[in-house]
Amino acid sequence: MLNLRLRLAALPRDARDTLFLLVVIGWVLLPHIGNLPWWCTLLAAGVLLWRGTLAVQGKPLPGKWWLFGLLAATLGATWLTHRTLLGRDAGVTLIVVLLALKTLELRARRDAFVVFFLSFFTMLTNFFFSQSLPVAAAMLVALLGLLTALVNAHMPVGRPSLAEAARTAGWMALLGAPVMALLFVLFPRFAPLWGIPSDAMTGRSGLSSQMQIGNVAQLALDDSIAFRVKWQGNPPPQDQLYFRGPVFADFDGREWRPLAPRLAARFPPIRIEEPMLQVAGTPIRYELTMEPNNRPWLLTLDAAVQPPQAPGLVAAMSGDLQWVASRPVVDLLRYTAESYPQFRYGPRRRAAVLTEYRQLPAGFNPRTIELAGEIQREHPGADSAVLVDAVMDRLRTGGYRYTLEPGQYGQDTADEFWFDKKEGFCEHIASSFVVLVRALGIPARIVTGYQGGQRNNVDNYWIVRQSDAHAWAEVWFDGRGWTRVDPTSAVAPGRTGTFERLLPPRGVFANAMDTVSPNLVASMRAAWEAMNNGWNQWILNYTQSRQLNLLRNLGFESPSWEDLSYLLLAIIVVAALAGAAWTWWDRLQHDPWLRLLGRARKRLRAAGLETGHNVAPRQIANLVTARFGEDARRLADWLLRLEAQRYARQPGASLQALRREFQQLPWPT
Amino acid sequence: MDAATLNPLSLVRRRFRQWWQARLPLTDTYTLTQRNVYILPTRPGWMLALTLLVLLVGSINYQLNLGYLLTFLLAGSALVGMHVCHATLRGLTLNLQTPAQQFAGTAATLSVVLSNARKSVRHSIGLAVLDATHEDHWTWTDVPAEGSCTVQVAFRPEKRGLHRVPPLTAETRFPLGTFRVWTVWRPAAQVLVYPAPELHPPPLPPGEPRAGGAAAARAQSTGEFEGVRAYRRGDPLKLVVWKKAAKSDELVSRDTMQAQRYELWLDFAGAGHQDREGRISRLAAWVLQADKLDQDYGLRLPGLQIKPGSGEAHKRRCLEALALC
Repeated sequence: MLNLRLRLAALPRDARDTLFLLVVIGWVLLPHIGNLPWWCTLLAAGVLLWRGTLAVQGKPLPGKWWLFGLLAATLGATWLTHRTLLGRDAGVTLIVVLLALKTLELRARRDAFVVFFLSFFTMLTNFFFSQSLPVAAAMLVALLGLLTALVNAHMPVGRPSLAEAARTAGWMALLGAPVMALLFVLFPRFAPLWGIPSDAMTGRSGLSSQMQIGNVAQLALDDSIAFRVKWQGNPPPQDQLYFRGPVFADFDGREWRPLAPRLAARFPPIRIEEPMLQVAGTPIRYELTMEPNNRPWLLTLDAAVQPPQAPGLVAAMSGDLQWVASRPVVDLLRYTAESYPQFRYGPRRRAAVLTEYRQLPAGFNPRTIELAGEIQREHPGADSAVLVDAVMDRLRTGGYRYTLEPGQYGQDTADEFWFDKKEGFCEHIASSFVVLVRALGIPARIVTGYQGGQRNNVDNYWIVRQSDAHAWAEVWFDGRGWTRVDPTSAVAPGRTGTFERLLPPRGVFANAMDTVSPNLVASMRAAWEAMNNGWNQWILNYTQSRQLNLLRNLGFESPSWEDLSYLLLAIIVVAALAGAAWTWWDRLQHDPWLRLLGRARKRLRAAGLETGHNVAPRQIANLVTARFGEDARRLADWLLRLEAQRYARQPGASLQALRREFQQLPWPT
Repeated sequence: MDAATLNPLSLVRRRFRQWWQARLPLTDTYTLTQRNVYILPTRPGWMLALTLLVLLVGSINYQLNLGYLLTFLLAGSALVGMHVCHATLRGLTLNLQTPAQQFAGTAATLSVVLSNARKSVRHSIGLAVLDATHEDHWTWTDVPAEGSCTVQVAFRPEKRGLHRVPPLTAETRFPLGTFRVWTVWRPAAQVLVYPAPELHPPPLPPGEPRAGGAAAARAQSTGEFEGVRAYRRGDPLKLVVWKKAAKSDELVSRDTMQAQRYELWLDFAGAGHQDREGRISRLAAWVLQADKLDQDYGLRLPGLQIKPGSGEAHKRRCLEALALC
């Protein structure tokens, strides 16, 4: 360590500066490693290391052809990887390579500028992939590092220490922070200027708009947060925490889809005398903060009568009780909602519309259809409820297992589940269940969403993760309408009751931590996620609507972004005026004694007596008496007293008195 | 006149600069305030503005709140940087030390004392002679906190005579290089520029017989004025040419006979048949040569005559006369 420090100290200044800049660039690129193609990471790291070696050894930089060659290779590799040179991912790859290659051209300190600007774009691209707290902290360090490099580049004298440059940079950032805060709060949030780029949201997981067997199981491995809930009052019990997402009723044997819109449009309009949705009991009120997922679904607890409330949010209920926003959720969205755990939904009596929910694709799952016939024969004349109970009994007692890794399913998924594999994840279970129930002639459909959640003890928010994604079924019963039936609870009661999640295999580190203190990891994670939530609520969730809310609180009647601009402008004007006032005050403070002497000089100059800037009052007095004689005795006396006031002050001799006297002096003309 | 001087734009610009510089006060002590410190963004500064714009558009389009934070923090830092840059010069006091006399054509140095009353260091202040040739003529310095430092800038006076010190400029781009803060200062001091001595002057002219003295033949025969001879016992110490003695071990005395009979006059009329400047430059070379030989010499210029003498003051007087004639 000491050896390394000595070696660094022995390097010439240019080499030291270059090494520092390379470290900063490496830091800027670090969060990208997971987002880049492997060759890009290797190339960038290799180039940076190469440049560092050249700097340490003081060797010349490679020629232009090296750069062109590497650039051409990069363009080719980017094309091969992304099949385009445009768009977000290819752009990020290119900019990372450009930044790395630019260091090979880093000859003089002034080239720090190009690296500086490129680095800022790279920093911004980091946010495409994550705006989390750690990335933000890393980028703050990167910003300080870049500023330090730039300040250092503008200290040409000698060999200033990097710590000194860092101190200057730190001060600048610290003093710039209020400006940042002001602009952040007041800068009008516009909609994307030319539409949200289509690639903005790739890489963010969530529920999808159709269900292929295996979708949800994939989500179960994703520990990221789907949304957070803050309950007003007591939270409902775990087994009621069903957050409703997309509903699927159209099955083609492989994939579940929502009913096609033309079918949904035939849905009879809600009749006033018999509302489709009836609720009872006291509602549960909650506030839900959804992570962006680029989907229009607003997750609510079953069943919400009123649309979720958020400023600027327009939502409508689809035919199957799902709330859908008018546009995709592309940034953090916070809304409040009211849900009634006791509700009835759907037509009371068997209606034509329900036939859609009994259809099965022809030629699939023959054994399941046979099984349905068997069950019907065992319960002759039984109504739907009894038949469904029979199916649930079979699930409970038939030796079925709940697992994350049921293996590959083939053509007839329901057949395989019921007879061969007898194990599956919630989606397999729900899908097989609905197929069987439909085969019994009972309308049924699949609902996907999230089930459960976990309270964070630090900030009391409930966290629902992607791994809480769940699929269950709804069965239509005569006289009751659509009723939730969760077949998974029959297979694995713990999944919905006390809420056990299937955990992916744990790493060595987690196991080691567990042996030290089983609770430590959990509580650390809770604190961390609470911090993240604060970050989300205050920084990432600061949207146009919250901006306008702020204006409303400030007393604007119907705020618009123009008002924001006015407010921002007004603050800038006030700040400028304050700056001007300070300058004026500073000038006033600029040695009043000298200013008084200056005024005296000016009067004498007007009378034709030129005195230099460094002539003392005593000398001026001599000049005055020599020039104007006895008439100016009082003036000369005043000048002498002015001098005494400065250099031999008597008690009581005030500058103020001298200034007053200045007006009454018999100035020569 | 080349194309640049005929270009109306550059003509206007030059005129404007002349008019503007003429307005500046002439002073040897220049305190930099809001009024005489100017600030403009540099090219990298404009590039930074462009970068900020692109970052902002990116943040808007991808709705990145963290992008907004980054953009605004950078903007805030740049704003502070602008203030820091201006404050680096503001409040600084420049004081020109009385410049020494110079020979035309050689680089003259001006010493400027930069005093900093502030409690922090002022970094990276460059000082230069304004309108100098376009080479890198900046002298960079840091001014310590509550202290001062001396900076020397060079300029090359082309003509002899009494010149005003050329306008000086100080600038800084610290800390980010996005702004250039500068000032222009016209010192009141004048510098006396001696004529450039001729590079290979002919030998000194022969001495002239002292008024009332005897023959002049001897000196003329050699063509060279030799006013010294080997030391002889009994020569008064006053006559010893100590300068020469220091160079060799032999003692040399002034030839008292010579000194008594001949006087060395450096005469404008006898300085060859070149143009006026050529003659003056030859006279300057002779003055230096005679002084080096520790010789008494007089100078005759049109309308001016300096009696023979020797020593530093005499040399300076002669050179001044040459500079100003």
